[in-house]
Amino acid sequence: MGHEQDEFADFYRASRDSCLRAVTAVVGDAELAEEQVAEAFTRAWTSWGKVRRHAAPRAWVVRTALNLGVSWWRRRHREVPLADHDAAAPAGLGDVVDPALMAALRRLPARQREVLALRIFLDLDTETTAKVIGIAPGTVMAHLSRAVAALRRELPLASTDTNAREVIR
Amino acid sequence: MNDYDDVMCQVRESFSGLRMDLPVEKVFAASRSRRHRRLSGLTATAVAAVGAAAAIALTLGGGQAPARSGSALSTSALTTRPLSAGPGPVSLAAFSVTSGPGGSTTLIVRKGSQYQLAPAALRQALAQHGIPALVTVGSFCRSTPEPAGIGQLLSPLTLADGSDAMVINGQAMPPGTRLSIGVFPQYTRMALTQDGAPLSCTSGSGQPAAHITPSNTPIREPRQ
Repeated sequence: MGHEQDEFADFYRASRDSCLRAVTAVVGDAELAEEQVAEAFTRAWTSWGKVRRHAAPRAWVVRTALNLGVSWWRRRHREVPLADHDAAAPAGLGDVVDPALMAALRRLPARQREVLALRIFLDLDTETTAKVIGIAPGTVMAHLSRAVAALRRELPLASTDTNAREVIR
Repeated sequence: MNDYDDVMCQVRESFSGLRMDLPVEKVFAASRSRRHRRLSGLTATAVAAVGAAAAIALTLGGGQAPARSGSALSTSALTTRPLSAGPGPVSLAAFSVTSGPGGSTTLIVRKGSQYQLAPAALRQALAQHGIPALVTVGSFCRSTPEPAGIGQLLSPLTLADGSDAMVINGQAMPPGTRLSIGVFPQYTRMALTQDGAPLSCTSGSGQPAAHITPSNTPIREPRQ
């Protein structure tokens, strides 16, 4: 038990920030995301014998956290926070994450946000992302491509370096 | 993949300041607490009658009850389901929300470093009982103008263990209002706020604080 506890503690400390960022990118509310991630880690510890053997334990945590949000939404019969694509970024998050980026993320379909979050914050490859979400690898690539294209269109900073170089030259 | 690197790096860097400070000990504690609750669930039915009686007693305390009272409520009653119909109880480590008689709702906020109140969870729990709320920890928000009627809405009590107990008559909330709850280490402040009205928030230290408003609009204007 002591060894398992140490092992989980190491996993938690190494993974909590990236899991929080991934879930926040999907749900758009850092406060809500932190609650869901904390609950997901609690469940991960409860089922650590299984989770530790998972192909991507951090992805298990993120998926569990996101499913908690879905369960809550189903219980409440109301829209998830990101359903309002034009809503302003929640306070607090705007201090940490570029509000323009958050607004652009919110305008993406949920599946595209999820693919983006798993690829960016958990560094999952296409195959693992596909397995975690339960879709085909080709679909992952399509979601990723569309998401990146949409963000590139909406985020001037994404092409700032290129523009700057052109101006300087 | 390289075609995506610029955008993905930008997103990654933008989130780099977002960190989760919750210590792992809290995760272990939550897991232990959950196991304990499961084990103690068998006794919940027997304790339910005590919970209902306590809720009734709190309701009869009157709408103008002072913030502190000599009344005590058994902690064991706080996580039980009263006998009345209504939404099911939500019992978390730092608070509990239960339905009471006459459509009232009993809210318990527990104090102590071992409790970490999640504002969004409390907000959701109250919403399930039909009470729209703005919950902040370490700060307190009021609207201008501030709606009247808080005295008819709340019957606050302080329990023997230092926890704050409040019987909330949700049906007495004026339309278009929201209950502002500011949770501090030693006390809990409450007020009615008007939806859409400007909000001012103060922290216990008098320092400015930013919060999530009902409309998800940042607030940064302190008022002392």
